Amino acid sequence: MTGGTPGALRVLAQARWPEPGDGAPPTLPGFVHSTFSPVVAAVADRCLTRRHGERPAPEPVGVRTAVVLVSAAGDRASADHVHATVARGGRPGPLFFYQSVPNSVAGHVAARWGLGGPVVCVAPTGDPLAEGTAEAELLRYDGDADETLLIMIEQAPDDAGAGVAAGTPGEAPGIRATAVLLGGEDTR
Amino acid sequence: MAERPGVRITGVHALSALGRGAEAQLAGVLAGTPAFRPVGRFDTSARRVAVAATLPEVGPLADELAEAVDAACAAARLGAGDRAGAPLLLAAHGGAGVPALAGEVAGRCGLAGAPRVYTSACVSASTAVADAAALIGRGDVDRVVVAAGYLVEPDQYALFDAGRALATDGAVRPFSAGRRGLLLGDGVAAVVLESAGAARRRDAPTLASVLGWGRAGDGHHPCQPDPQGRGLARAVGAALRRAGLDPEEIGYVNANATGTGYSDAAEAAALRLAWGEHAGRVPVSSTKALHGHALEASGLLELVVTVLAVRHGKLPVNAGWLGPDEACPLDVIRDAPRRAATAYALSLNSAFGGANTALLVGAA
Repeated sequence: MTGGTPGALRVLAQARWPEPGDGAPPTLPGFVHSTFSPVVAAVADRCLTRRHGERPAPEPVGVRTAVVLVSAAGDRASADHVHATVARGGRPGPLFFYQSVPNSVAGHVAARWGLGGPVVCVAPTGDPLAEGTAEAELLRYDGDADETLLIMIEQAPDDAGAGVAAGTPGEAPGIRATAVLLGGEDTR
Repeated sequence: MAERPGVRITGVHALSALGRGAEAQLAGVLAGTPAFRPVGRFDTSARRVAVAATLPEVGPLADELAEAVDAACAAARLGAGDRAGAPLLLAAHGGAGVPALAGEVAGRCGLAGAPRVYTSACVSASTAVADAAALIGRGDVDRVVVAAGYLVEPDQYALFDAGRALATDGAVRPFSAGRRGLLLGDGVAAVVLESAGAARRRDAPTLASVLGWGRAGDGHHPCQPDPQGRGLARAVGAALRRAGLDPEEIGYVNANATGTGYSDAAEAAALRLAWGEHAGRVPVSSTKALHGHALEASGLLELVVTVLAVRHGKLPVNAGWLGPDEACPLDVIRDAPRRAATAYALSLNSAFGGANTALLVGAA
């Protein structure tokens, strides 16, 4: 499932969260409680800035860039909070509705950078990079995208959003993300 | 229909509040009676809305998915050896247990593993179908089983209620004046997709072909669709280009329309952007008004319904209609099913994140 166009994609830019010197991820308006979406946005911004400098991504490449978000467990902190709230008969806050799927922050990145390719979120059963790269290759082969911003993120079960809530210096606890911009020939 | 290249659909199965099995879906959408009822599966006393399209006596999601895959494979007359070479692409709501769920279903059904689960909200299943068709078209595999499932449960229900997304009048009214929102519904479906060559070699039954597909993003907002429908229009255009068909050849659109004010208007704008004035002449309905919104599974349930309806030659109504909305200038099928004028149909889906898909099928 990872074959097809070997060598067709190359790494145009990449970034990680955290990188040396990172504190808590910046807050992301409209997203609450969890570090998941803020870290996705931060690592995506970092990667795309290294490639494009300033927002938005230039045309024609921007409208042909996909966002592929790979996470086996998704936003654990938000899901756990909602589950606990519902289990005790409460009402989750309305913002949790909007961040209940990873598409929302992927769409935030797409809107912020003017990316018009497909938005695809997957949970891999094996190697996240291999599955994410396979999806990017397929979208490129298939003609729906020339470049793909691939974001891989996992949030540890005990990361209940402390990095955001407390604004603690140092690493956001229990969350790691990598963003890789994949493409073929230089289309800038 | 003249034989066109494309990926064959050789077996389907679906479950919704309309019933269990493919024939129940066809009968239900042609009957045109919405399947919404008071939620009895969990406590809704703290919710604004207490209605959904649920099927009584459903099993755990893993069991229902395995049953759907087995039934679709049986309908496709797949033997154990045929199954063993087919990967599973699963669509489901994301979470810590989802990769294991995919592995369990693939293992129980004798499939060749499950490399990934699509968690792209309401385009999860349709994206999986597009990817399956692309994988087959590229020659990676001869056969893929796509499965998808969502059974109405308390957490997502509470979130949609808190987000004021649910229709407070207990009805889904796509494209209609006075629409108030969506209602959730059960949906579990499985589809066997095969290359034309593989299907021909084993003399497989062919229900329809996936002739085209498109996936595109709005790049507009985390949760709201582009009011001009630019992403969905590009997805529609890509699907028609892959199929080599003109808009005049499309006889039916099973719309994404959820019954939500701004998103139905954005979908209408997308069709006008893609097809111009002709968009007002293509029969359109959203079967979500009958079986509810099955979230991650919606794209597959609606694909199954679309295939069965077009094969049968009758197009389902858009239930809940109160009157026209000038923001949705479309030929909405009202009152009674309409005869299908062509064998080609589009199934559209859109999701949070500005994600859009279009699947173009041709009935055999």
